[in-house]
Amino acid sequence: MKEQIQRIKDELREALSSFDNLDLRELKLVEVEANLRKLRDLKIRFTGKKSPISEAKRQIGALPAEQRASFGKLIQETESEILNSIEHLERELASYALDLKTRVESLDVTIPGFRPESGSLHPITLLRQRIEDIFVSMGYAVEDDREIENDYYNFDALNIPEGHPAREAEDTFYTTNGLALRSQTSTVQIRAMERRGVPIRIIAPGKVYRNDTPDPTHIPMFHQVEGLCVDRGITMAHLKGTVAEWLRRLFGKGTKIRMRPSYFPFTEPSAEFDFSCFKCSGTGVFEGEKCRPCKGTGWIELGGCGMVHPNVLRNCGVDPQVFSGFAFGFGLERMCAMLYSIDDIRLMYENDVRFLKQFR
Amino acid sequence: MNISYNWLKELIDFDFSAQELAEKLTNAGVAVDSVEPFGEDDYVLTFDLTSNRSDCLSHLGIAREVRALTGNHLKSLVNTERIPSDKPSDLVRIEASDCYRFTARIIKGVKVGSSPDWLVRKLEAVGERSINNIADITNYVMHELGQPMHAFDLDRLEGSRIIVRRARKGEKIKTLDGVERTLDDTMLAICDVCKPVAIAGIMGGEESGICEETTNVLLEVAYFDKNSIRQTSRRLKLSTQASYRFERGVDIENLIQASNRATELICEIAGGVDVEFVDIYPARSSRVTVELRPDRVRELTGVNVEREEILRILSLLGFILQGDFSSDKLSFEVPSWRHDISIEEDLIEEVIRIVGYDSISEELAPSFGAGEYQPNEARKRNLRKVLTDLGFSEAICYSFIDISHDEQFELASNFVNEGLDEKFITLKDSIIEGAVRMRPTLLPGLLDSIRRNFNYGQRNVRLFEIGRAFAALSKEHGAFPVERELFAIAMTGGYMLQNKALPIRELDFYDAKGALEAAFDALNLPEPSFKPENVRHLRTGQSAAIYFGDRRVGTLGRLSDSIAQKYKFRQPVFVAEVDLELLLSLEEEKVFYKKLPSFPSIVRDVAFLVSKNLSFAEIRRAIKEQEFPLLSRIEFVEVYEGREIPEDMRSLTIRLEYRSEERTLKEEEVEAVNEAVIEFLKASFGVVKRFS
Ligand SMILES: [Zn+2]
Repeated sequence: MKEQIQRIKDELREALSSFDNLDLRELKLVEVEANLRKLRDLKIRFTGKKSPISEAKRQIGALPAEQRASFGKLIQETESEILNSIEHLERELASYALDLKTRVESLDVTIPGFRPESGSLHPITLLRQRIEDIFVSMGYAVEDDREIENDYYNFDALNIPEGHPAREAEDTFYTTNGLALRSQTSTVQIRAMERRGVPIRIIAPGKVYRNDTPDPTHIPMFHQVEGLCVDRGITMAHLKGTVAEWLRRLFGKGTKIRMRPSYFPFTEPSAEFDFSCFKCSGTGVFEGEKCRPCKGTGWIELGGCGMVHPNVLRNCGVDPQVFSGFAFGFGLERMCAMLYSIDDIRLMYENDVRFLKQFR
Repeated sequence: MNISYNWLKELIDFDFSAQELAEKLTNAGVAVDSVEPFGEDDYVLTFDLTSNRSDCLSHLGIAREVRALTGNHLKSLVNTERIPSDKPSDLVRIEASDCYRFTARIIKGVKVGSSPDWLVRKLEAVGERSINNIADITNYVMHELGQPMHAFDLDRLEGSRIIVRRARKGEKIKTLDGVERTLDDTMLAICDVCKPVAIAGIMGGEESGICEETTNVLLEVAYFDKNSIRQTSRRLKLSTQASYRFERGVDIENLIQASNRATELICEIAGGVDVEFVDIYPARSSRVTVELRPDRVRELTGVNVEREEILRILSLLGFILQGDFSSDKLSFEVPSWRHDISIEEDLIEEVIRIVGYDSISEELAPSFGAGEYQPNEARKRNLRKVLTDLGFSEAICYSFIDISHDEQFELASNFVNEGLDEKFITLKDSIIEGAVRMRPTLLPGLLDSIRRNFNYGQRNVRLFEIGRAFAALSKEHGAFPVERELFAIAMTGGYMLQNKALPIRELDFYDAKGALEAAFDALNLPEPSFKPENVRHLRTGQSAAIYFGDRRVGTLGRLSDSIAQKYKFRQPVFVAEVDLELLLSLEEEKVFYKKLPSFPSIVRDVAFLVSKNLSFAEIRRAIKEQEFPLLSRIEFVEVYEGREIPEDMRSLTIRLEYRSEERTLKEEEVEAVNEAVIEFLKASFGVVKRFS
């Protein structure tokens, strides 16, 4: 019996000898896998049902009783010895196979992910939405109204009488039946006050039209945002504070504003408002050079504003002795052009997808 | 308008550098555009004045502003203050009410020649070219005092007299610029006894003008109605330095000073003798008085300005206090050079602009209520988001389009009144050639945009637009046209992945339809139906009308070959347009939870050979109506047209899903129902199951 065991061990050593000098680093994945299969076969050959070990186990019963225990133990030990030596190799090879496999299946993670191409909103929409969000959070209602107006809403109600230079300027579009394409969103002031009465706090973003020859800074159709606040005791300080507040929310806390006296028929007193440049923080210098958006002045001119003219209030049935209010307005295209450094606003109406996709 | 820094100093003393002056004036509402050095020691300030401040169109005007800023006095320019004779004179007769005042001055024995250097230089500083000494002096005084004037050769005036009257229709005059102009009876003319010799307030005539031989001069310094001058200038398309000032308003009380100043200079430089001075002032205008309650300054600006300070500022600006200084209302006479002051708020602006807008503090208006978006803004934002996620970029196109698009496009819904002769809105003229039609559809704009993208080498383009379309309303419905918010998409090219060079496949009808379906979901609408209908601008067989219930809301399909050809499109373009306003007026779909199934379902995918006349929707509706037991869902799997399918047929694969809420189904019972469905289709439509 002992010889039989010894023979099995010798046979195993012989079978495993090919693994002794195996240099894993020289093997390809297929060779490693072939060796793993070989080990699995050896396991079956030495410990399977038809193996010499199984045969030896079956013979135990035929042995004298006093030998059975020690012989049984010997067989057990031999079996685990065989398994150990095979499985040790198996583990080593399997782990190496996994290494190889991992290396083979490695990816270039810099290749773009799979995702349908997305589009983008028009920069005017993006800016309009941001401005609307700010004003709604400040208690303003967003309003809009007709784009085709009559002279009353486009001019008379706004205190622009016939013969006024602003009215005679030849840039108003007229329809063949004598209506005007609104030349400013101030028309919405009038309609909103008629509809809602006072007190009122609104902003009115919308399209306006001027019959101007298109060039890098002019375009016959563009967008304006008009703001209006009428209540008891409204002052120019409220105007300045409101304009400063929303510009700070848009451009950051450090933004300063300034007002310069100006003239508009629908406000008195009137002003133009500028804000400190968002790019150079009002210094006029950006990265050692003259700042572009503010042309080196540190200030960006944005729009017009003022206290609502008493004639405009009266036209809407509001008593200027009881109520006062402020209004302001500015162009979205101009603001957009500054914000995104667009040097030609005509691009905004070409709808070139290479242009549109730059905004988010 | 240009001002010379040194010249200004002849009118008032001040300590500001040119830069400081520019800044201070700008902050006071007299905006300086630029400051440029001129010559050795002078600067030229270029102003960008608002249209109401015609009083600032001269050195005197700016000097008055400097007076308000510094408190310094104006210097006197004229040595001898000659007062015109009040004796009646034949020299001038005013026959038109548009001429409010007219002064004429006769200066005899002048010698016309070139101007002295100092005069040439000063005119150069303000951008004027020297002509001769007499013309230069009239120009000089205009820039100095703001009053335009004209010098005639007295000997070339027929009858040596002036008549101010309306021109007769068809009367002609050759003006100083050498152009012969035809006048009409709305225009004010300066005439001699026979003919017009100048267009009042705009330009003199060539014949009566100063020339080398001139020895006797008639100097006109007058005031004309603003609107009359503006209209004439418009009609003749002739705008001059003089008309620019007259139509904005000059100072009617400044005429004598201006005439004296010019006459003094003429006598000094051209050596004449001042022999006669006539002033005709038929309707002496009453001066405007405006009341100001000192408290209102604070109430409107938030800045506390003392009564004394208010008075000081307004006095420096030339306003004259009338009556009591301590009363609740201060009454001020408006200076004759200010045409822009008529109400209390105007005076408040005068005060606060000199105090400085910087002194206004920043406050927030007390809150009043919650803010609100436009109705449906949230739904529209959803719509925009879904479309951009689907690869569409938002376009904005002009609202006016070419009239050649008329009748080429079928409109999204019936917001256009087809019964009208003029159903569209048309512009009188447009800066963009031909684009006079207010668009009744967004599609031409999107197609133009696609064309442009093709021109730029982009062949994969997906665009959408949300915007208004316009149409006429019949008179009974009011004066204003319809403005309707529409939503449109246009797409062409391949289905693209982000950052990958090649499309996965070409886009087709179903991509456009999918985008629309997603859009309707974003708006939270019930399920629409798409019906095959012929649509004018779409290719037959690939066009559908979209309905919610029985309301037609828009169209969808492949652009017709004839329109595609006009745009030179060489690849299919798919478009859709819907009436967004109508969609948003529909009731939103309410969402309720449906219980999740407790037992598994069994599905059968069946491929049928179907005639091209029979739609998936019809098949589905027919099966549904039969209410087969256990059949819980009917879904589309795929459609196939190809080699083994006859040309007028399609292979349509449908998924039939069977489910019970009580138990797990057995294959056999499902098989029985499934067979019944197949039998039903065969019997009612002749539809045959493939692969059987
Ligand atoms: Zn800057």
